[in-house]
Amino acid sequence: MDTPVIDIHNVSKIYNPDTIPVPAVNNVHLHFERGEFTALVGPSGSGKTTLLNIIGGLDAPSEGQVIINGTDITRLSANQLIRFRLHNIGFVFQSYNLIPVLTARENVEFILLLQGVPKARRDKRVHDLMASVGLGDKMDVRPAQLSGGQQQRVAVSRALASKPQFILADEPTANLDSKAATNLLDIMAKLNQEEEMTFIFSTHDARVIERARRVITLEDGRVASDTGAVKV
Amino acid sequence: MLFSIAWRNLWRHRTRSLAIIASVALGVWAGAFIVSLYYGMGNERVRIAIEEEVSHLQIHHPKFREDFEAVWNFKLDRLNDALQRTPGVKAWSLRTTAQGMLANAAGSNGVQINGVNPAAEITTRNFDHFIIAGVFFDPEKKNQVLVGKKLANKMKLAPGAKIVLTFLDAEQNIQSGAFRICGIYETSNAPLDERNVYVGQTELNELLGMQGCGTEAAILMHGENEIAGALAFLQKELPDLEVESWRTISPETDLIMSSLDISSFIIIVIIVLALAFGIINTMLMAVLERTREIGMLMSIGMTKIRLFGMVVLETVLLTMIGCPIGFGFAWTLNEWLSKSGIDLSVIAGNLMKDFGYGAIIYPDLPGFKVSQIVLTVFVTALLASVFPAWKALSLNPVEAIKR
Repeated sequence: MDTPVIDIHNVSKIYNPDTIPVPAVNNVHLHFERGEFTALVGPSGSGKTTLLNIIGGLDAPSEGQVIINGTDITRLSANQLIRFRLHNIGFVFQSYNLIPVLTARENVEFILLLQGVPKARRDKRVHDLMASVGLGDKMDVRPAQLSGGQQQRVAVSRALASKPQFILADEPTANLDSKAATNLLDIMAKLNQEEEMTFIFSTHDARVIERARRVITLEDGRVASDTGAVKV
Repeated sequence: MLFSIAWRNLWRHRTRSLAIIASVALGVWAGAFIVSLYYGMGNERVRIAIEEEVSHLQIHHPKFREDFEAVWNFKLDRLNDALQRTPGVKAWSLRTTAQGMLANAAGSNGVQINGVNPAAEITTRNFDHFIIAGVFFDPEKKNQVLVGKKLANKMKLAPGAKIVLTFLDAEQNIQSGAFRICGIYETSNAPLDERNVYVGQTELNELLGMQGCGTEAAILMHGENEIAGALAFLQKELPDLEVESWRTISPETDLIMSSLDISSFIIIVIIVLALAFGIINTMLMAVLERTREIGMLMSIGMTKIRLFGMVVLETVLLTMIGCPIGFGFAWTLNEWLSKSGIDLSVIAGNLMKDFGYGAIIYPDLPGFKVSQIVLTVFVTALLASVFPAWKALSLNPVEAIKR
């Protein structure tokens, strides 16, 4: 077995611990390896998004450890976490969350700028990524002029631009029609297979679950079932 | 790209950004205009003090300013000699002054009686231009007196009317003389017009019993820069007399000038404070509207310092657009008004003259004030952006993305 990319030890998250405690994630142990294509599923309130946020360093667990490539991110300061996310994690959000005043190209390029990548390398990376998601002809279009599916593909390109260790996608297909969702999943599956990129989704979408090679079901913040890691 | 994002963010709500740019421009214009008006009034007060009242320098007996009595007189010959040798002197007038009473059938009024040489008064302060009725001393006639408009109105005096001036002579004896009003004058300082009457120096000296003497020399220089040199020269030449500049003789005028910086700065601060609240309000709205976007930026790895910089940059850009517009307008208006002047007599009537100001004010916007206003507005904008920027930083990315 490979060294896990992500190692989650005994992670719990309780909201409002001092007033009315609400447990969201309860004593979760999970390992994710490089190249996984994993879906976190479960009913609303089961803790999928919270767990995804904890893995992404957006939310801190009440207890437990999240070790990513040997770094316990629960011990990092806020600024260290921001830098860690910048270089190691790609995010795809349900509502795309592109910067509306930037073009598709600039949205993808933005993260490379934050990383301090030189212009020539930025241009090539953006061009390659936009081409790989089928938006080579929409580079200079602003998000408002793109369909939902196209916007989400730009968001995927942005997530991939920084060459992260893995991509966390929170309900990425929730706002897409069937065709756009299938198209997006095809692109992500291709990237997973060709670049051995690790994807972790939180989803309700049967289409995503169907394509996932590992499905982790959460119930009341606990892991109810796990089909186990299957690599590319 | 941070600049690009900040710039484009400004135009998400075009009307709102234009409104804040307009308020910055208006604030800058208002600040600059008020400052220019203030300096214009200060300059006008100084001009009047020098050209119509005290001239650049005055010479008196050291004790003269204790009671302004004629007993504190000095020989005029040596003064004429010294003044001819003083560098930078344009003109001078030697006067005799006495404190006394003006009386006619209608009543009496305390006055300062100034014995003057008419020709010298024309060269030092164009006194003949102040005559509004009658003439400026008829060389053919004796015992003439000029009275100010305010006193003339108060005592119902007109050219041709007879009055009696009573005063103490150099020996402290009461003397009086009958004079006929040859003219009514009006300067820009109504209180002084009410207090001062002018008679021929020779006639007054005869009544005072101090021929060839005077109590005051008023000296007009070629420019403000000549004052210091002339002052030093005359102090050395006339060690027994007191030589003073207009700043000492008219301390209230000097106070106005020295308080201009502070008072105009206070005005600027009040204006920019109002501006600051506008900026805070607008930028806060801009930040709160973009909560989800800011959450996303923090999630994908935008550091707090960059986020802070983006909000501050947006504010600075708004200010940098508004500032030149405001200054352009202020400069244009100042260029026009500094030549044409603002006639305040329409709204203030004679009120300006009651305070020693001319009715027409010529705004003046000094260069150092321009940079002071720019700096103040810029610093205010920076400070005003701190709260919205801090508000952006305090957002929790997880919570922000959900909104």
